[in-house]
Amino acid sequence: MSFLIDNETRLIVQGITGREGAFHTEQMLIYGTQVVAGVTPGKGGAEVHGVPVYNTVMEAKVKHGANAAVLFVPPKFMYGAAYEAIISGIPLVITIAEGVPVHDMLRLHHLAREKGCRLIGPNSFGIISPGKAKAGFMAHRIFSEGSVGLMSRSATNAYETVFLMQQKGIGQSTCIGVGGDMIPGSPFVDMLPLFEADEQTEIIVMIGEIGGGEEELAAAYISEHVTKPVVALIAGKNAPKDTSMGHAGAIVSPDGEGSAENKEAVLRAAGVHIAEGTEHLVEIVEQLIKGK
Amino acid sequence: MKLLEYKAHEIYRRYDLPCMNGMVASSAEELKAMDGRIPYPMVLKSQVQTGGRGKAGGIQFAENRKELEEKADFLFNLKIKDLPVEKVFAAHKVELTREMYLSITLDRKVKQAVMIFSPEGGVDINQIAEENPDKLVTVYLPPNEPLQDFTLQYVMDASGLDEKYRADFKDIAGKLYRIFTEYNCLLAEINPLVVTDAGRLLALDGKIDIDDNALFKHEDVRLFRDEITGNPLVLEARSFDFLYIPIQEKGSIAVISNGSGMIMSSIDLISKQGMAVTCALDLGGGATSDRIKEALRIVAENPKVETIFLNIFGGITRCDEIANGIMGSLSHLQSIWLVVRLEGTNKEKGLAILESASDRVTLAAGLKDGVSILENRLGA
Repeated sequence: MSFLIDNETRLIVQGITGREGAFHTEQMLIYGTQVVAGVTPGKGGAEVHGVPVYNTVMEAKVKHGANAAVLFVPPKFMYGAAYEAIISGIPLVITIAEGVPVHDMLRLHHLAREKGCRLIGPNSFGIISPGKAKAGFMAHRIFSEGSVGLMSRSATNAYETVFLMQQKGIGQSTCIGVGGDMIPGSPFVDMLPLFEADEQTEIIVMIGEIGGGEEELAAAYISEHVTKPVVALIAGKNAPKDTSMGHAGAIVSPDGEGSAENKEAVLRAAGVHIAEGTEHLVEIVEQLIKGK
Repeated sequence: MKLLEYKAHEIYRRYDLPCMNGMVASSAEELKAMDGRIPYPMVLKSQVQTGGRGKAGGIQFAENRKELEEKADFLFNLKIKDLPVEKVFAAHKVELTREMYLSITLDRKVKQAVMIFSPEGGVDINQIAEENPDKLVTVYLPPNEPLQDFTLQYVMDASGLDEKYRADFKDIAGKLYRIFTEYNCLLAEINPLVVTDAGRLLALDGKIDIDDNALFKHEDVRLFRDEITGNPLVLEARSFDFLYIPIQEKGSIAVISNGSGMIMSSIDLISKQGMAVTCALDLGGGATSDRIKEALRIVAENPKVETIFLNIFGGITRCDEIANGIMGSLSHLQSIWLVVRLEGTNKEKGLAILESASDRVTLAAGLKDGVSILENRLGA
């Protein structure tokens, strides 16, 4: 088992006729994902790598029974595209764009909840259930099927971790990019119940970073509800305060809110294993697997 | 992007939010020329991108022309936390009888805007929370709803605001909320919100922080950003869509990588081994040979940089492109040593290109290996 996406998922790609959208549609198809349709307003009737293109999400959904959407849409247009997908009743919407306006995300975050949609991202690498399907732009050849569930605010730290796991023969159940922007559609705490319930997942890896309070919220949930071992890495310990480290969300406020120290402290108190870096993280995972 | 006070006041005026009516001067001469244009007594407020200007002498008063001239020379020679004063906002001094606090900010955990009000203000919000917690009122503002009358009613009742200030408060709070939403703010704060000697409320100071990712909606503010960024390398990098981040004054290492997470991880591991990173540059995705050259050039313009750790994990990034960029840069990077870690698409091609590089390039097998190489050469 895996969750959120698998080989049954019927995915649509919004922004499929763009350069990135077209390229990654091909990559997702190669990986075995069922990309059933694409959407680009005004380009209805076209085809991209054999995938039919429609003007609206609704038409793509009605004709192909789509149940997930991935958006290769620039940040300026992300609000409109995600809004359409949510209102059209797509239950899983994954947004790749980095740097979506915060106020757009405030609205979408709450709208998605009201409409029963899981909104992933923005600034996400997507979701991959290795060996089954992927929706996003991750370089899939480093992923392999296994028992580690991974979620990360950063794409590069996730890749690095998965790459090191690959060298040790450790595979993953499902990997989720929750995204590096300030307001995630679905933060860590929303993903934890899925990892906890998934039979394939035996160890949960959470790659967080400075800024915001999502790791703290996750810690509170973990101490109450999660029985599986959780290993966490918090990036940005040595970042200066009041400075965005690239991800819009990776910023410690001048009074120290969102610091790595605080996140590590509350996670540790919740029984989470804290890693110093990616290699250390994979060492801990390896020990946990051996100890079973 | 944090606006300077006078810019915040410009926005307040667009919304008819009562604030100080003043003018900004960019030199001592311009400030002296306010004589006759703004009535005395005058308040002269330094416009700098940092807090604590009052304590540093950055706010002065002038009762007459002689004082104005003295204070103008003083302020334009002043440095506040190492930042030179380049602009001074001058206005007729407001006689006030009371100070309050009003802000609208973002609660990232709850993912809503939050309005914070206290009829006791003038000091920073943490101090208000400590000294007068029962007068501090906090209320969430859901993003898909307009600001409701009952919300403001609650704020006024819960804070015990005097009846005579309520009409002004409702007006100002409503306008501040419009500014917050229409300008895509992360913070809009009036501290202090004062009661004038005429019994009216007025914004004596203004802090507005606008979401950088929404600046495309606000051309006027976006242009202003380039005026105020002090670090020329930040601007230069921005023109190539790179992000240049100053990290520490001390240190001689620069980190270049293709992603925020990898930059933070690299800095964390280097710092853990007792070395110091002075700056970092995020290439973003899809780096080409030419972009690598520009990135190396910009980082090398920082005179403190002696070593560059180039840590590339290519998802979409092609390693042979990176290697070609490095090769093309070496002749311009005098006396700089590069530690290069390449992983991803076309890795072998990239490494083959770099094999023939000079002894100023050392190849690292991974992130941790790269840090070990740095440590062996630079570590204490």
